Amino acid sequence: MSATAVKTARAHPPDPLPIRRFTPRIGSSVVALGIGAVAWEVIGQLWGVRFLPPLSAVLVRLVELTQDGLILQSLASSLRNLAIGFGISLVVGIGVGLLMGAYRKVEMALDWWVYALDTAPTLVFAPIFFAIFGLGPEPIIAIIIMYGIFTIIVNTVTAIHTVPGSLVEMGRSYCATDRQLFWKIILPAATPLIMAGVRIAMGKAVKGMINGEMFIAAVGLGAVVMNAGRRFDSAALLAVLIVTIMVAMVTIKLVQIVDERLTGWLPATQRARRVRGGSGA
Amino acid sequence: MIEIGGLSKIFPARGKDAPVQAIQGLDLTVKDGEFLTVLGPSGCGKTTLLRIVAGLEPWDAGTIRIDGRDLRGPGPDRAMVFQSFALMPWATILSNVAFGLELRGVGKAEREARAIELIEMVGLTGFERRLPLDLSGGMQQRVGLARALAVDPEILLMDEPFGALDEQTRRLLQEELLVIWEQTRKTVIFITHSMEEAVLLGDRVVLMSPRPGRIVDIVEVPLERPRASAVDSIEGSAEFAAITSDLWRRLREMQTFRRHQHSKTVSAA
Repeated sequence: MSATAVKTARAHPPDPLPIRRFTPRIGSSVVALGIGAVAWEVIGQLWGVRFLPPLSAVLVRLVELTQDGLILQSLASSLRNLAIGFGISLVVGIGVGLLMGAYRKVEMALDWWVYALDTAPTLVFAPIFFAIFGLGPEPIIAIIIMYGIFTIIVNTVTAIHTVPGSLVEMGRSYCATDRQLFWKIILPAATPLIMAGVRIAMGKAVKGMINGEMFIAAVGLGAVVMNAGRRFDSAALLAVLIVTIMVAMVTIKLVQIVDERLTGWLPATQRARRVRGGSGA
Repeated sequence: MIEIGGLSKIFPARGKDAPVQAIQGLDLTVKDGEFLTVLGPSGCGKTTLLRIVAGLEPWDAGTIRIDGRDLRGPGPDRAMVFQSFALMPWATILSNVAFGLELRGVGKAEREARAIELIEMVGLTGFERRLPLDLSGGMQQRVGLARALAVDPEILLMDEPFGALDEQTRRLLQEELLVIWEQTRKTVIFITHSMEEAVLLGDRVVLMSPRPGRIVDIVEVPLERPRASAVDSIEGSAEFAAITSDLWRRLREMQTFRRHQHSKTVSAA
């Protein structure tokens, strides 16, 4: 039902306002990026220290690393871990969050665990995962999960708790079964906040991917970073950083596209408020 | 027919607040096809009464029978219209109106055909594919009314449905509700805090007083039906003025009484 609703909502945008607001934002972010790039180049050239090579040198190094296949190979294995780890985070995170939101007892049982693990420095677990899973992608996937899953859980719980009581009551008064209440009212009403959590978790998962690769197994992009660091190859370090940021931005953009498909019904003002509130969390 | 006998409802103590006797020993019979309005100051339990009849709220003592059967939770014989509209913001007007039928497993084509009929009845044709937040408050409540009528209930429960609307919109919707009611003749329980609304719409006005919530009086409204076409002359009539001013006098007494009671407790403390 929500699928048809979303389709129709998209077919009839309420007004052109969101689009008008969006265009200048792309423009100004391009300008801001341009200014940053120029500043980097100028400072790098003038300062001439080894740890901050100018942007052009970094880009040259990036092309070299791409040409010898190192970056692409590493990127492929990193992205595979990311996809598996984030996929598990999504399914388990939303599932656990829904259960905690719906059942008071489950929430009381898991509440402290979730908050404790969410605030714990995740890399502390790196040696433990390494000991459990040994060499291979598994400990890295575990780290990726640890970075993102709790944000998804916490947001999903909040999302369920903030479903308007009046809508639930309306559903009950029209004789909805518990199952109907969940699928037709609670889940669609909770989707905006759940998706806000998923967006933040996506960025965290990318961070977890690189950190995991650096601290556990010298594989993927993390390995490139470690090797470059040992050789004091700052240009390579920063080249990988650029790649990582690009990965994060592309994946977050993907989540955003899904989000807008699912929650196109949100008025522009509420969307902005939710994103601001979300990024602070 | 709705028969309520000896109904009592107590909200249990919360924190430092004492338990609240929301309704005490309430007896009321609503005839089939009757438009009953319930009037009272806030806190008199009128909304609680409606929520109990809707099956959304348990009660502590008394019996409620609808057509001779004991009330047990929400049922397809009743549909509710909410003060806050309670529309699903993600669903189109069409889906919102068809929602009750969807919950009952009515097929898509059939329920949408029925919804389109009711959207026309409440004057929203052309807005089927719009979202609730594109609409004004008055239009949203028309959707709420259409959703309730779509399931073809015997009893329409209306909880201050026009309370959140501005005066002009409210008057228009009152007239339209009269038109629709005169066509469909559902049994209606309509909660309001407006004397004029209670008298203009109702066959009888139930006057309630707070602490504990109980019925003070039930006033027969002698105005003729159909009223929809004669709203102006009704509101200008001496009869209308007499009933509403009498109701207002009695409502004001309740408020004054409460104020005295309040100042007494304050001075005692």
